[in-house]
Amino acid sequence: MAKNLTAILKGRGTLNTVLDIKNLSIEVNTKKSKYNVVEGVNLSIGKKMKYGIVGESGSGKSLTSLAIMNLLPDVLKVSKGSITLNTEKSKELTKLSKREMQKIRGNEISMIFQEPMTALDPLYTIEHQLLEVLKFHTNYSKKEMRELGLDMLNKVGISRGKEIFKSYPHQLSGGMRQRVIIAMALICQPKLLIADEPTTALDVTIQAQILDLMNDLSETHDTSILMITHDLGVILETCERVAVLYAGQVMEETTVEQLFTNPSHPYTQGLLKSIRSLGDHKNTLYSIPGNVPTPAQYENMGCRFSSRCPHAMEICKSKEPSMYTVEKDHTSKCWLHEEEGVAYG
Amino acid sequence: MADTAYAIEVKNLKKYFPIKGGVLKKTIGNVKAVDDITFNVKRNETLSLVGESGCGKSTTGRTILKLYEPTSGEIFLNGQKISDIPRGKFRRMRKDIQMIFQDPFSSLNPRMTVRSLLLEPLLTHKLASRKEANELVGEMIEKVGLSKEQLDRYPHEFSGGQRQRISIARALIVKPKVVILDEAVSALDVSIQSQILNLLIKLQEEFELTYVFISHDLNVVQHLSDRVGVMYLGQMMELGETKDIYNNPLHPYTRALLSAIPSLDPYEKKERIILHGDVPDPSNPPSGCPFRLRCPKAHDRCAEEKPRFLEKEKNHWVACHLFDE
Repeated sequence: MAKNLTAILKGRGTLNTVLDIKNLSIEVNTKKSKYNVVEGVNLSIGKKMKYGIVGESGSGKSLTSLAIMNLLPDVLKVSKGSITLNTEKSKELTKLSKREMQKIRGNEISMIFQEPMTALDPLYTIEHQLLEVLKFHTNYSKKEMRELGLDMLNKVGISRGKEIFKSYPHQLSGGMRQRVIIAMALICQPKLLIADEPTTALDVTIQAQILDLMNDLSETHDTSILMITHDLGVILETCERVAVLYAGQVMEETTVEQLFTNPSHPYTQGLLKSIRSLGDHKNTLYSIPGNVPTPAQYENMGCRFSSRCPHAMEICKSKEPSMYTVEKDHTSKCWLHEEEGVAYG
Repeated sequence: MADTAYAIEVKNLKKYFPIKGGVLKKTIGNVKAVDDITFNVKRNETLSLVGESGCGKSTTGRTILKLYEPTSGEIFLNGQKISDIPRGKFRRMRKDIQMIFQDPFSSLNPRMTVRSLLLEPLLTHKLASRKEANELVGEMIEKVGLSKEQLDRYPHEFSGGQRQRISIARALIVKPKVVILDEAVSALDVSIQSQILNLLIKLQEEFELTYVFISHDLNVVQHLSDRVGVMYLGQMMELGETKDIYNNPLHPYTRALLSAIPSLDPYEKKERIILHGDVPDPSNPPSGCPFRLRCPKAHDRCAEEKPRFLEKEKNHWVACHLFDE
């Protein structure tokens, strides 16, 4: 319980936070059209905290992470809101120049991508790629870098470091590659590690190894983790707090424990119900009817989940709900909570 | 003639892919993708093949469909031996055994409308005149939960879940007896996945289908299957009824695999068996038991002798020396 309480306090920003996202919107701007793909996202990630973002494809979870890294593709841009990184001093990431951002990437914030096959350059050895991060961000001698590199490989569970140093990515298995990528991400001791579906491409037994490793490393390295995934099981395994994204908006935000024991948004309830009914042999599964709306449909649809929601009321179709506090440390964007909850945002 | 209570029988199936090398492109080794597996699938049953990538589950599925020629072994479809029928002749029998693939984005021709996608198999197999075929297409599209108005659209106009419905309609329109589903719901989001699973279960009852369901998702497999076969490095490690495999797994690999599924209950304390290392290279598998290098219970005998595949309990087979005294 004590652990939970600190987690809660961290989440509310009363203790130091590493990253604060306030009212973030991301806009697609092409000649033909202009609309928000991510809208009004608020998150704050405490020191050493493991924070999860869960959502289906197209919910905007990866775009949010790319916005933090300032890596959004050209057609997309942050149209509103702020992303603040609090390390030695606070920095507003959306306002930094390219150069300033390069100093932060890989050093203060690192990112792990889903596909360990494409995240490494096939033409360079592991040694080259791993030490490149250090070369860019530090002034260590070559010998020191090699030592640090070998030490880091050891920490991610690669014992034959010297051999691996000489190998090329194609000579390693998927699990090994993902370990190398984690080593690269952590070698500068970042304050925040963003992991975008880090285990989706891996088999379950390897997934278990990698999640275990990430949990250990965040403890020993004082690193906060932002875990982005579609898999609620992975969230439960690793995170303390979680935000549920749907159609570009946060629908529910709370501790992982509360999300699983007392989900309050109908979308979260539906998701949990449909996964939990799996295993009941051949009985009809609970499923959320319909499809996720496309960004072009977002405008004037009221609550974005209303077309698929079993509790939809008249107001849901015309007016977007605000974020209500349903209990201590638990918010949900749904009209059902209008009476009991306190609105903000 | 084999026993016809089974829709599919596979006996000692092997599929090796040669590795060519040197100046003369001689065969210098083999990737043993499927190495001596035996199983059968009863009529109207769902048998799932599970395992990690590279375990040979997809190769098994494709070899049954004769997309690959087996290296050795026998395959029977409804009692008829199909493993030695030449490809050209087998084409006529393909309507009895259909396949649904993982990726609904690449398995549908983007230049064909849904109508022509569904008409094509009927006309190729000469199952109906054009007029009858058009009616059948209309019926089928409604069975999979889409409407007749959507028939003249192209695949890109549909979402992933809807495309998978089209793939299902295309596979089922020729009235097959057996359907091989290779990771058929793996690319779909959770909320869409359950819609498609419900549809598959409904259609299985309606058309009396036999499913071979290939997947790495153990939660989905538990829901859908009557029996489950666990594969590792081209070999069948354990085969049994779903409830026996999930409640009473015998093989150390099955136990580790099941313990690795992330739990969905915050209060459940699960004892996790973390396997060390990776799946070995299938062109150079370890001696004896293929799992011994990662097995927490490996002993001397495992390196010396390949374990036999034995029926340890009724209808529950396992290949492990721990159960072969």
